[in-house]
Amino acid sequence: MSAKAQSLLWIAQRASAAVLAVCVLVHLATIIYAVQGGLSAAEILGRTRGNAAWLAFYSIFVLGVAVHAPIGLRSVFIEWLGWRGKSRDRVLLVFSVILLAMGMRAVLALFA
Amino acid sequence: MSKWMAYLHRISGTALAVFLPVHFWALGLGLEMDGFLAWTEQPLVKFAEWGLVVLLAAHLGGGLRVLALEFLPWRDWQKGLAAAAAAVAFAAGLAFALALLGSGAFAQSWPQKPVRFIVPFPPGGATDISARLLGEKLTQIWGQTVVIENRGGAGGGVGAAEAARAAPDGYTLFFPSGSVVTANQHIYAKLNYDPEKDFVPVTNVVSGPQVLVVPAGSPYKSVKALVDAAKASPGRLTFGHAGIGSQTHLAAENFLYQAKADAVSVPYKGEGPALAGLVGGETTFALTNLAASIGHVNAGRLRALGITSRTEAPQLPGVPPIASTLPGFENAGWFGIVAPAGTPKEIIAKVYQDTKKALDTTEMKARFYAQGLAPVGNSPEEFATAMKAETALWANVVKERNIHVQ
Repeated sequence: MSAKAQSLLWIAQRASAAVLAVCVLVHLATIIYAVQGGLSAAEILGRTRGNAAWLAFYSIFVLGVAVHAPIGLRSVFIEWLGWRGKSRDRVLLVFSVILLAMGMRAVLALFA
Repeated sequence: MSKWMAYLHRISGTALAVFLPVHFWALGLGLEMDGFLAWTEQPLVKFAEWGLVVLLAAHLGGGLRVLALEFLPWRDWQKGLAAAAAAVAFAAGLAFALALLGSGAFAQSWPQKPVRFIVPFPPGGATDISARLLGEKLTQIWGQTVVIENRGGAGGGVGAAEAARAAPDGYTLFFPSGSVVTANQHIYAKLNYDPEKDFVPVTNVVSGPQVLVVPAGSPYKSVKALVDAAKASPGRLTFGHAGIGSQTHLAAENFLYQAKADAVSVPYKGEGPALAGLVGGETTFALTNLAASIGHVNAGRLRALGITSRTEAPQLPGVPPIASTLPGFENAGWFGIVAPAGTPKEIIAKVYQDTKKALDTTEMKARFYAQGLAPVGNSPEEFATAMKAETALWANVVKERNIHVQ
C-alpha cells in the first residue's frame, strides 16, 4: 500500500474515532431518556420515523463504525496474524460493507 | 505500561468488532423495542452489557492515549495519566448510565400484557372482593388488565402452590389472605409451597375485622346465647369456614378457645361457599370477614351477633364487639400481595408504589370502607416484618388448639 493510502487510513481512523466518541455518548443519552421517560415502542418509533435528523445522526454513526472497525482490525491482523496483502484488505472491505449494510438496515427500520 | 495499554486497545477493539454485527443484527431483526428492554434484564444479557461497558471504556481510554501521544506535547507520564483518567471517567459514566438503564428499564416497560392475580379462594369471599377492587384500579393505572383467577382448595394451598411455581416475571402475583402465608405452614403436615422461600412480600393491601354471624332464622340472638349453647352441648353446634387454616377458621378457633367452648369445624372451599352454606342452614355460625358477610347481613339473610374489633364497626352499627362478652378478644383479617420468589425487585417496588397510589385515592378508601376494610399499603420491608411476627403468633395458636392436617 502506498504511503499516501497509509496516511489516508491513519487520518480516517482518527477522524472516525472522534466522531464515534460523540455518537456513543449521544446514543446512550438517547436510550436512557427513552427508557427513563417510560416511552413505549410505539412512542419511540413515532418520534424516529420520518425524522430526518435521526436518520442523519445514525447514518453518520454507522458510517463511522464501518470506517473505524475495519481499519483497526487491519492493524490487528498485521500485528497478531502477520496477514498482509490484498486478501486481507478484501476481507476487511467485505466486513466494512457488511457492517454498513446491517447498520443501515437497523437505522432504516427506525426511520421508515 | 505503554505496551500493555496498546495491547488492551487492540483486544477491546477486536471484541467490539465482533459484537457490533451481532448488535446490528438484533436491531435489524426488528425486535419489538419494549420486549428488547425486558430481555436486557436477563442475567446473561446483563453480564454482556457490563462486558460491553468495560470494552468501550478500555478502547476509548487506549484511543485517547494514542491521540495524546500523537498530537499533544506532553510528557509520557502525563499522557498516561490523562488516558487513565479519561478511561476511568468514561467507565464510571457508562456504568452509571447502564445502572440507571438496568434499574428503570424493566419497571418502566412492565406491564406489557395482562397481570394475573391468583386468589386462593372461590369468588364471593373477602380475599376475592379485595383483589377485584384493587385490580380494577390497577387496571386503570397500568393500562393493562388485571385478571383475577380464583384457585380455591386446601385452605388456600392450591392457589398458593400454583403461584409459587409461576414464572417470576411480575405477570403472576399472589393475592392471599394472611393465614395462607402465615399459618398454613404450622397446620399442614405436607404443604406444596413454602410461604417464606417461595414468595417475597409486596404489600399488605387491606385489613378488617371479622363478624360472628348466624342465619336470620337462628335461635341465637347474642354472643352469650351462642357461647352458652356451645358450652351446654359440646360438639353439637357447627361452624363453617373457608378451609382448614384459613383466616375464618383460625378466627373461629380463637373465639372458641377464648370462650372455652367447642363446636364442630366444617371446612368449605372458600368464604363465599361457607356463607352460602350458613345462609342455607348447613352450619350454626361462622366468623367471617366483614367484607364478605356485610351484604348478607344488610339483606337480612344473616344476623350479626358480634364484631372482632375492640369497638363497633361503623358499617354495622348496633353490632357489639365480641370483647364485651369475652373480654380482651380481638381478631383481624388481612389481604395482601406477595410475588413468586425471584421477581425483579424493580417490579416489586412498582407494584407496591402503584398499589399505595391506588389505596390513597378517595374512591378506593370509600369502596373498601363500604366493605368494612381499611387500606394498609405498607412497604415490602414493613410487610415482611409484620408477616414474620404473625407467623410466630399463629404457630402458638395452632399448637394450643391442636389444629393439624395430615
